[in-house]
Amino acid sequence: MSEQTPPQTDQLQRTPPPLTAPVMELVGISKHYQSRGSIFGGAGERVTALNQVSLDFRRGEIFGLVGESGSGKTTCGRLMVGLERADAGQLVLEGREITALRGKDLKDFRRKVQIIFQDPYQSLNPQLSILDSVAEPLITSQACPASEREGRVLATLKAVGLSPAEDFAYRFPHQLSGGQRQRVAIARAMIIEPRLLVADEPTSMLDASYSAQIFDILLQVREKFGTTIALITHSLAAARYLCDRIAVIYRGHLMELGQAEQVINRPRHPYTQALIDATPKFGDCGDVPRYNALLQPERQATTEEAGCVFFRRCARAHLTRCSRQAPTWRRLEDGDMVACHYADGAPDPGPEIESCPVPGL
Amino acid sequence: MALLEVNHLSIGYQTAKGLLRAVDDVSFAVDAGQSLGLVGESGCGKTTIGMALMGLLPPNGSIVGGNVVLDGQDLSGLDEADLRQRRWRDIAMIFQAAMNALNPVQRVGEQIVEAILTHKPELEREEALHQVEGLYQLVGLPVGRMHDFPHQYSGGMKQRAVIAMALALNPKVIIADEPTTALDVIVQDQILKETKELQKEFNIAIIFISHDISIVSEVCEMIGVMYAGQMVERGTTREVLGQPRHPYTQALLNSFPALGGPRRPLRPIPGEPPLLIGRRFGCRFCDRCPVPASSCKLEPPELVQVGETHFVRCDNV
Amino acid sequence: MSAKDQITVPTPPRRNPWRERLLDNWRVFHQNPLGRIGLILLVVFAVMAMVSVVPPLIDPMYHPMTGVDPEVMQSSAPSWRHWLGTDFMGRDILSQLLAGTRVAFMVGVSAAFMSIALGVSVGMVSGYLGGWTDIILMRLSEIIMVMPTLLVVLMLAALFGKLGIWTIVLMIAFFRWPGVARVIRAQTLSLKGRPFIDAARVAGASHTRIVFRHIMPNVLPLAFLYMTFRVTGAIIIEAALAFLGFGDPGTVSWGMMLQWVWKTGHMFQAPWWLLPPGLCISLLTLSFYMLGRAMDEVLDPRLRDQSR
Repeated sequence: MSEQTPPQTDQLQRTPPPLTAPVMELVGISKHYQSRGSIFGGAGERVTALNQVSLDFRRGEIFGLVGESGSGKTTCGRLMVGLERADAGQLVLEGREITALRGKDLKDFRRKVQIIFQDPYQSLNPQLSILDSVAEPLITSQACPASEREGRVLATLKAVGLSPAEDFAYRFPHQLSGGQRQRVAIARAMIIEPRLLVADEPTSMLDASYSAQIFDILLQVREKFGTTIALITHSLAAARYLCDRIAVIYRGHLMELGQAEQVINRPRHPYTQALIDATPKFGDCGDVPRYNALLQPERQATTEEAGCVFFRRCARAHLTRCSRQAPTWRRLEDGDMVACHYADGAPDPGPEIESCPVPGL
Repeated sequence: MALLEVNHLSIGYQTAKGLLRAVDDVSFAVDAGQSLGLVGESGCGKTTIGMALMGLLPPNGSIVGGNVVLDGQDLSGLDEADLRQRRWRDIAMIFQAAMNALNPVQRVGEQIVEAILTHKPELEREEALHQVEGLYQLVGLPVGRMHDFPHQYSGGMKQRAVIAMALALNPKVIIADEPTTALDVIVQDQILKETKELQKEFNIAIIFISHDISIVSEVCEMIGVMYAGQMVERGTTREVLGQPRHPYTQALLNSFPALGGPRRPLRPIPGEPPLLIGRRFGCRFCDRCPVPASSCKLEPPELVQVGETHFVRCDNV
Repeated sequence: MSAKDQITVPTPPRRNPWRERLLDNWRVFHQNPLGRIGLILLVVFAVMAMVSVVPPLIDPMYHPMTGVDPEVMQSSAPSWRHWLGTDFMGRDILSQLLAGTRVAFMVGVSAAFMSIALGVSVGMVSGYLGGWTDIILMRLSEIIMVMPTLLVVLMLAALFGKLGIWTIVLMIAFFRWPGVARVIRAQTLSLKGRPFIDAARVAGASHTRIVFRHIMPNVLPLAFLYMTFRVTGAIIIEAALAFLGFGDPGTVSWGMMLQWVWKTGHMFQAPWWLLPPGLCISLLTLSFYMLGRAMDEVLDPRLRDQSR
């Protein structure tokens, strides 16, 4: 994998984390849901939340998992913290498989992986004071004696920018703003210093000024504790700002994975290109090209089972190949990974192929 | 004379702790075919303005100053019944939660038919149905789905249906309150584009309310930045985003990550917006301002003209 | 790591967030006229229950059960000696009424408390665990719920003869928990899906801890609300049983007093005897009801009057 030197225009000057063994690995993870059948019996539709997803999270990196709603990105995050179980595949934490943990091992795992949720208004227990909420992981993991708990909580609240911490600790969630609540949620996750923090759309319910604050805190957390952060988001702009690497996911399938700048500046998968096209641009976005990768209107194809998941919306699809053969998840020569037959400059299917008749169209 | 003029509008809510001045001395004008984006954080009063224009303020809220002039007629002089008549005919609204704006137990097409018949009782049902078919084509919905229930629609389709309903009575003004917040980027992008085309086609004035400055910058020719009930900066999109003069606008722009250009650090705005209950002295942004002057705390700043159509409520420009 | 370095932060005096909360709720409660009237009535009855021990101490003839005024051997109208008059054998009605207050409180509160405790436990376990536990517990609760409490207790009383007051309390509790359980179960189900329960799971909380530490505080307010309504129900059932002659003959309750009026044929002859227990039953149940309504408003901010 090539070392990416940051472009000269980058004013962030963050050092990318060294290439060490991954903190967590997902190996071929699949997850399906059975939607409820009709009242007249009959099994419901089988919905694929994740299909053969393989990811690795390196120590100290911020990894962005980008996708639309229903893409399976939230399921992926819930799997990583043990809130869901995979149907197939393995979850490996620091070299140990953790797919079917129980008892003490599970408790140990809980100390190492934490999550912050999307909705700060729902993720704090309204009946517990901030102190009690943040202290909860300490209590259940018995990480420190009871006498030190309050001090640890206050220190952590201070670390996420809630000061005076003494003032916030004794309040209840309803007395805080959304941004403050989300910081409490970060404090709760960070108080036992996990190796991996899953941040599931941490700012999508917040105003811009608050989300910038939350981004800053996540960066500080990484700096201070060396925590690996898995950022789940729908916003490529946010992922570009925060992440070292980005993976793009569409309907449970990984589409593209690579260095953040690479994925944004040189997207290879048509879906990533469509996302970039759709993202509102302002400020100095003049240099962002348009890709026009999205097909309007969608194809009414029926051959989807075997073909590429993005086939119906892809303006560049090869009508026979893409509808019948799913692209493999492969590595390009510059180290990035992509699931598209035509990602590395392979000849465009061209109009003459486009016009060739395909059944079910 | 612009199509819609809002002059020194102030709106207050009676609360247990006193009068909450949600909107304070806000003025703007929109012409037919123009679009104005109201941007600001939650609680800055942007939704309240939309509700006031529609005459939909909650019982404890009322206009305490200023007026709204539509087509040369002062709306604040109208009585309740006249206002209701004008409401959907002249001004329509696309609500924040499109998911909840539709009645879940009524077929979507039927709901739009009813909206039309309520305001144009002279129409035949068949005619109204025909109109709805036209509207469906207009907003890109398959006509065949008219007789489905809302839960059978996807998020984007519901949003389109709500837009169709807003267009049903050929309004002069449409107020769109966070119309795409719940949608995915690709669907959002499509709907924004279509909205823009429809606006051009029918020469409608749009007031676009959003917390997301990047969306507003894509859609609107003019932007009004709201902070704590006041409009702190107003001008064309080029003016406001190109040369932001108010420290709040600058701070807001600095707190958005962008997709292009050099990666630059974001600068979050420290602190929280002020409470709007009770008397306030001086500038409302003072406590969070990166460049406060000593005089800012004493005198409330006036709206200053800094460009042809560019106004800023700050003493230090 | 920095968090450990900083643990020497001086601990501030611990303020009590619960007190602030209570005060806040009290303010809302206090502004509600229903709640205020209910509370005043309740305090009056509580005082009555407390002073019920006083009359027998003044003179044994004021004992509500055994004290008989040797000078009046029949029901007499109010007088200086007997403020509310006497019953058919010359017992003081005021002291009976006071003793009845004590019994009503005891029956109402303990039966309600027991049924709520049972209902909350069953409801939380059922909602949280789901699956077969849920199905079995809920079918059981439905079976009990469809039995008309009064009728079943009457049948049992007829079967086993006179029931003691505590047996009655237990039976009321047993037949009144399913409604609570169902409400608490529904609440638990909705709480179970909230992110903060997921957060507790990720924080490593066990199932027991999640139920008691995270879910229970959220259902308790609702449970208390139901308790006020259950108190009302228990008092009425006990009174009805006693009036129909299936009460505890060793206890003076308001229902008992009414039964004595009726049985001795004084229904239309001695209003001083008939009215006080009747009014007391109505007023005490009313006061608990009003209390519940006011609490409802405290618990549900949407019911609060916006303009206040």
